[in-house]
Amino acid sequence: MRNSKKEIKEALKKWEDEILNPRVQKFKLDKSPTSFYTPLSSDSSHFLEKVGFPGEFPYTAGNSPFEFWRAYAEFGAKLNYRSDWGGTGRSGKYGGFGTPADYRDYLLKMQSMGRKGGPNIAFDLVTQCGYDSDSTFAEGEVGRVGVAVDSLQDFAVIYEAFTGELDIDKVPSNFTINAPAAVLIAMYVCLAKKRGIPLDKLTGTPQNDILKEFIARGTYIYPPAQSMRLFRDTCVFCCKHMPEFNINSIGGYHIREAGATRVQDLAFSMANGIAYIKAGLAGGLGVDEFAPAFTFNAFGGSMEIYKEIAFQRAARRMWAHILRDRFHAKNPKSMQIRQPITAHIGCSSTTLQRPLNNLARAVVGGMAAGMSGAIPGAFPPFDEPLGLGHSQEATQLQQDASRIMVFEAKVTDVCDPWAGSYFMESLTDKIEEDALAELEKIEKMGGAVAAIENGYMPRAVAKSAYERQKKIEKQEELVVGVNCFVGEHEIDVSINRLVEATYNPELMKTAEERQKANLARLKRERNGKAVLTSLRDLKVQAEDKDKNLMPAICECVENDATLQEISDVLREVLGEAQPMKL
Amino acid sequence: MGEGSKIRVLIAKPGLDGHERGAHVVVYGLRDEGFEVIYTGIRQSPAQIVSAAVQEDVDVVGLSILSGAHISLTKKVMQGLKAKGADDILVTVGGIIPEEDKKTLKKMGVEGVFTSGAKIKDIAAFIRAKLRESS
Amino acid sequence: MEEKLELMIEDARDKNERALAKLISHVEDRKTGWKDIMKSIYAKTGQTCVIGVTGSPGAGKSSLVGEFAKKLANLGYSIGIIAVDPSSPFSGGAVLGDRIRMRDISTYQNIFIRSMATRGMLGGLCQAARDVVRIMDFAGRDIVIIETVGVGQDEIEVVSAADYVVLVTYPGGGDSVQAIKAGVMEIADLFVVNKCDRDGADVIVSEISAMLDLSGDAGSETPQVIRTSALTKEGIDNLVDILSDFMNRKKKCPHLQMECVRQEVISIVEKEMASLIQERIAGNGNMEKELKLILSGKSDPYSAAEKLMNRFTVTKNLERSTGRRL
Repeated sequence: MRNSKKEIKEALKKWEDEILNPRVQKFKLDKSPTSFYTPLSSDSSHFLEKVGFPGEFPYTAGNSPFEFWRAYAEFGAKLNYRSDWGGTGRSGKYGGFGTPADYRDYLLKMQSMGRKGGPNIAFDLVTQCGYDSDSTFAEGEVGRVGVAVDSLQDFAVIYEAFTGELDIDKVPSNFTINAPAAVLIAMYVCLAKKRGIPLDKLTGTPQNDILKEFIARGTYIYPPAQSMRLFRDTCVFCCKHMPEFNINSIGGYHIREAGATRVQDLAFSMANGIAYIKAGLAGGLGVDEFAPAFTFNAFGGSMEIYKEIAFQRAARRMWAHILRDRFHAKNPKSMQIRQPITAHIGCSSTTLQRPLNNLARAVVGGMAAGMSGAIPGAFPPFDEPLGLGHSQEATQLQQDASRIMVFEAKVTDVCDPWAGSYFMESLTDKIEEDALAELEKIEKMGGAVAAIENGYMPRAVAKSAYERQKKIEKQEELVVGVNCFVGEHEIDVSINRLVEATYNPELMKTAEERQKANLARLKRERNGKAVLTSLRDLKVQAEDKDKNLMPAICECVENDATLQEISDVLREVLGEAQPMKL
Repeated sequence: MGEGSKIRVLIAKPGLDGHERGAHVVVYGLRDEGFEVIYTGIRQSPAQIVSAAVQEDVDVVGLSILSGAHISLTKKVMQGLKAKGADDILVTVGGIIPEEDKKTLKKMGVEGVFTSGAKIKDIAAFIRAKLRESS
Repeated sequence: MEEKLELMIEDARDKNERALAKLISHVEDRKTGWKDIMKSIYAKTGQTCVIGVTGSPGAGKSSLVGEFAKKLANLGYSIGIIAVDPSSPFSGGAVLGDRIRMRDISTYQNIFIRSMATRGMLGGLCQAARDVVRIMDFAGRDIVIIETVGVGQDEIEVVSAADYVVLVTYPGGGDSVQAIKAGVMEIADLFVVNKCDRDGADVIVSEISAMLDLSGDAGSETPQVIRTSALTKEGIDNLVDILSDFMNRKKKCPHLQMECVRQEVISIVEKEMASLIQERIAGNGNMEKELKLILSGKSDPYSAAEKLMNRFTVTKNLERSTGRRL
């Protein structure tokens, strides 16, 4: 450095006295509305330790110099390749509705239109909560926010859309499933067996992130500690038999959407991640055997572009250190946060008021992603908060925005473009430091499971959500069109909005009745004795804490025991989770 | 309202939807507006909600639904309240409610529908005004 | 009494839930006529058995109450539950969340759950809760369970008015045993170590037993210490047996009854007097005048209080009759 610290310090003082403060006084302000960072704000002499090269520890600058998508981006552009339609060998669009047959038919139709890609299944809430379609809890919910799956037969019906070049040894499967993840993985395993496909050929990702369900999304079944036993079992089973299949997808995103602050998002996700690592170790695995199969859904979710970039950098560095220093991982893949998207604004940043503005918002999130090591996705489509499904127009604009950022703005031509910025480095340090302090608090309570059992994490998130609401109501946070710029002279710009008839509404209406009939038929026709025997065996196995339940669950699934029958046995042995008291 | 009386509100989440952010914010917000807020948590059946509303003698029931099942769930709650002779209780709905459905809900007897961007102060003022009207 | 209230009382007695709920609100809110309600139902009460449940936050009281209330209901008892949560001292509002943990029983025909906020009533919570118990008693509830967080004198008073007091603690709650406050310890008839499926339950059981051995008077019955888990259901049947056994034994001695009534009358008088005094003091400018004098160094709180009290004829009369300066 040509200038000494002393020199800069003196110059800073002079600048504050002669330029900054007079200006603040001139405008009669208490403090400056802007800040300026200097070499004093961050110590750049530790570049290799704190930033490093893309693809090298501590991965602050990214997991690699460029990802798969970036390698062929221009190539795909010239071919008019639509990434959101998926492609052979890749994951397809997230979705699901109605009965398994409804969803299968829909997928076949999409495939005939060239929209290929592996199953990326959304399950209805009934399935997510471990009930069958004929349960009283299911009333009105069957096939609503995803497809209904009660049994292996249902699962197999969906997969009738995936054969030949789309068979399960050729495309990955994604399951957004948590509490009953073990059962759905068992279904996948049984399907592979039926098709004669070796398990080591299976690829894909189950969400399998039960801890965040207690903090944010609410689709839990068993108490936290008992749920972790099922995680351990899936972790060990996948690790041993399905080496190409990911184990989980840890999500900070849901926690953030539920109201967590940035620091809580990061600290809680890390605490959950640590709990999962410990579960794998408790299952007798070595850290490098399974940690490389951990993935992350997405962290973050706000409009504050600088902080979201710093957040991604801090997250990568934290996880790398935790894995290397605490768990002594050796494999670089164990230390990397593998996530499909990095920064984004989160659905909770979108507004119902003047909704087209959400496109501008999503671009900000896309820029943050593009500048922190991922595809600059302009997520979500602008019509997200309308609650009517994404329209063709909104999806088109979302895709185009992303393309414009990549090809016209060339946002992704540089890795970690903010590396070395005095401001960004100090911001990254600060976020990491705060998150570490919060993480330590949780660790002192006994880790993520304890901090869920005692209500700390869920309550902290609820309180943060309320604090944010208060700030908006007091205009301490300004949201355009919501609490400012709401005069009559503002106009609401709208565009034609065609909702792609994603799912047939007529089918949705009758899905519940049809699925109940499917289930009744299954229960009539299956071998009742085999079902009972396998469920009884599951119960015996479950009572022994050390037993891995995956083989027994597979046995139940294979005998056409239903999801709820399996879950009920486990409810009986493991108990049921209680909702959180505020 | 008499001397010591407090406005009592039941905030409930019918169905399996587990997104609680909106409900939590409203619970805390109305508490700070001086209301007594009974919160029954996620996964409540319409029958449980009706029973709580009656036993707690609440002035208002606020349903929070983000799963898209708001029409059928709200209908069941309204029917349940009526069956127990408690249809004088003010019912409001919050969540992701498309414009079209707001009309349907109002026809069912739902007095207020609050969606994203609603202020707690406005919700509280709405409740106070409605209760004043009916007393 | 207003005809509307009379009708409400009648309906409540006829097991109409809505009427019972409305009656409770009317009395809890101290609406016009509340005392008439209490006077008219008093003679028809005294049948119910009141179980107080207290313990530190996080002990799982609500879940436990839910579990044993379910069992008692299945034995045919008609049950009322009063779940007390604190009011916010700032807004006067409250979050009442105990029902969350009693969801299984919330639609039981013979269980009636009522959440109650402390409402910052000067020693009034106890009376208000007693009133609600009495209304439930009148409405034919065989058992009334009052659940409160064992903090604050007010709440301790509430449970201490119960016929049988259950103190709930759990492993992992920090220094659970240390946290059992003096004052609560003495009124407990039964100690429950809940969440016994967790590590450390045995340690707590033995610590409590040791503490009881040391503090118990010779000859008096040492309270039992039992283990329960709302999750695995361990010990719930035992708890239910102990409670049923108590209910069968419950026959108050007349002296105790006399003491209870004495306490209640005193507490009603105190409460009424206190609100009267507050009203009077706040009602004129004397208070403000005195405060200013204190702040300017011309008076002190003791003299000010004396001066203010002298303005009440009621205190003068008292002084005259007792010959004691108040």
